[in-house]
Amino acid sequence: MSERILGGLLLFISIAGIWIARSFEAPFSYEPVGPRAFPMLILALLGISAIALILEKKSDTTWAPPPVMKRIGVLFVIILIYAWLFDKLGFVLATALMVIPIARFFSATWKQAVAGGVGLGVGLFILFDRLLDVALPTGLWLNNILG
Amino acid sequence: MDSTLSLLMQGFAVAGTPENLMIALIGCFLGTIVGLLPGLGPINGVAILLPIAFAMKLPPESALILLCAVYAGCEYGGRISAILLNVPGDAGAVMTTLDGYPMAKKGLAGPALSISAMASFCGALVATIGIVLFAPLLAEWAIAFGPAEYFVLMVLALCCLGGLVGDSLPKAAIACLIGLLLSTVGIDSNSGVYRFTFDMLHLSDGIPFIVIVIGLFAVSELMLMLQHSHSGAEPMLITGRLMFNMKEFLLTKWTLLRCSLAGFFIGVLPGAGATIASAMCYASERRLAGKDSDFGKGDVRGVAAPEAANNASANGSLVPMLTLGVPGSGTTAVMMGALTLYNITPGPTLFQEQPVIVWGLIASLFIANIMLLALNIPLIRVFVKFLSIPNWLLVPGVAAISMVGVYAVHGNTFDLVLGTLIGGIGYLLRVMNFPIAPFILGFVLGDMMEQNLRRALSISDGEIGVLFSSPIAIGLWVAAIAMLIGPRLMKLLDERKQAAAA
Repeated sequence: MSERILGGLLLFISIAGIWIARSFEAPFSYEPVGPRAFPMLILALLGISAIALILEKKSDTTWAPPPVMKRIGVLFVIILIYAWLFDKLGFVLATALMVIPIARFFSATWKQAVAGGVGLGVGLFILFDRLLDVALPTGLWLNNILG
Repeated sequence: MDSTLSLLMQGFAVAGTPENLMIALIGCFLGTIVGLLPGLGPINGVAILLPIAFAMKLPPESALILLCAVYAGCEYGGRISAILLNVPGDAGAVMTTLDGYPMAKKGLAGPALSISAMASFCGALVATIGIVLFAPLLAEWAIAFGPAEYFVLMVLALCCLGGLVGDSLPKAAIACLIGLLLSTVGIDSNSGVYRFTFDMLHLSDGIPFIVIVIGLFAVSELMLMLQHSHSGAEPMLITGRLMFNMKEFLLTKWTLLRCSLAGFFIGVLPGAGATIASAMCYASERRLAGKDSDFGKGDVRGVAAPEAANNASANGSLVPMLTLGVPGSGTTAVMMGALTLYNITPGPTLFQEQPVIVWGLIASLFIANIMLLALNIPLIRVFVKFLSIPNWLLVPGVAAISMVGVYAVHGNTFDLVLGTLIGGIGYLLRVMNFPIAPFILGFVLGDMMEQNLRRALSISDGEIGVLFSSPIAIGLWVAAIAMLIGPRLMKLLDERKQAAAA
């Protein structure tokens, strides 16, 4: 069933994409193939493959059991929030806050998780920002403290 | 030949500077560790380190040396967890578990590790010599390719990979087409038209390569690690002697040579990578050894064969990337993306225009493999320690390091969020058994494919027949169709035959 749903979604994407791509026209054209031919070709092939996927007789995907799926979903959301807060909170704080819940998922104790969070946050900051010259955001709060 | 030798010497001069030697050593060490960690393989190692190398402003040759050393190191590292844990550290080491783990159970972990390090070295050495001999020839031949031939060559590369990986043709095709589609996002360089940017300023330059790579090979990998997380088994202890003895070495010497050569040629073919090479060589060595061998129960040849083959093919797969600019595997596609970050276009002219980079890279492969052999036999106990890094530290650590790289290159969180979202989609696709290598290959080749197609059709004034006009192009089309359908047809016929026999 999941294959069929995905196939339907891809078919929709390919049709919508072709509809969008129709408007890609160059104001001055000096070559026979403009900017829309290649995307439209790819989208058409994608549509055909999507139909093939819908019609294909293959065993369905087995998803992870619901509790595991839920944890994977939460992991994804944590990384997403981490990505969003990366420069707002600064690397050290954002990393520590990301590490603690993820470490708990992989069955660390609270003590290990907090130590790991602080350790990774501070350790990686020193490694990259100070030693390897890869600039990392310190975050507004730390800037204020450091003046 | 003379010129090849002098160019190689130039390469050694580049790779032999103290900084580059240091970089190679660090790369070998990191690569071995990434390789031995189950769940992380060469493609993850290269993907995570690529943005960091770029952010550290390493010159292109040094960045490539680092990535190649990591790549080579991963192929060595995979065998350690295969032998001691019965869990392959990367896909190429699957076959190594078959005889490696039984050897470790017999108390022969030391010899199994050292003979497999020797086999890895032998495979890599043969393949690197192969690169020196064949790559310049292939590059010279490919210089005659016009845009039409190039376009068809890229179609061939995608078909090879699509035909060989995964279980379903539509899935492989969809993976590759999504990659191609994403490569068209952004301003069209010929006409200045905005394509699929949805009025987002960040998308006007297209989706950055690093963002795709981190999403697909770091974020989605971490989600898969949570799904497969199992209570860590304890690695076997290394007791007794570390080194293999003369008798074991003599038993494997022809195996080493055969598998190294076969592995190299399988690696050169686009699509067929380390996994296929090691499986084929293991099977054929087992047949050659006859009935009274110990294959499957801890035969040294069973450890040597897949390791020689997978290292040889990993190095061999650099050939199409360097000479044609058309990578044949996921990992080499990522490496090629690294080159394009530095505005270097791989292809037949690379050998003439950038001899420093090409020959520096080839020389660094020799150096890296000698380092790896030296690291992997005496220091094996140090590497084994890394097997006990707990996942609760590893997973968030990898997440943080991946984000560091992307942020350092682009300096905004839009790309981090985009990478995470792509990672989420990548996870869903991977759980549904979509092969991910054609995705990244499609993304890397997309722009070049479109450019060559448009150039070819400009030359012919829109006449589509130009794509089928030269003998080379026709040959490539035939090969592409054969590679797309062939492997599955053979499998189907095989199943029929078995069904008829039963």
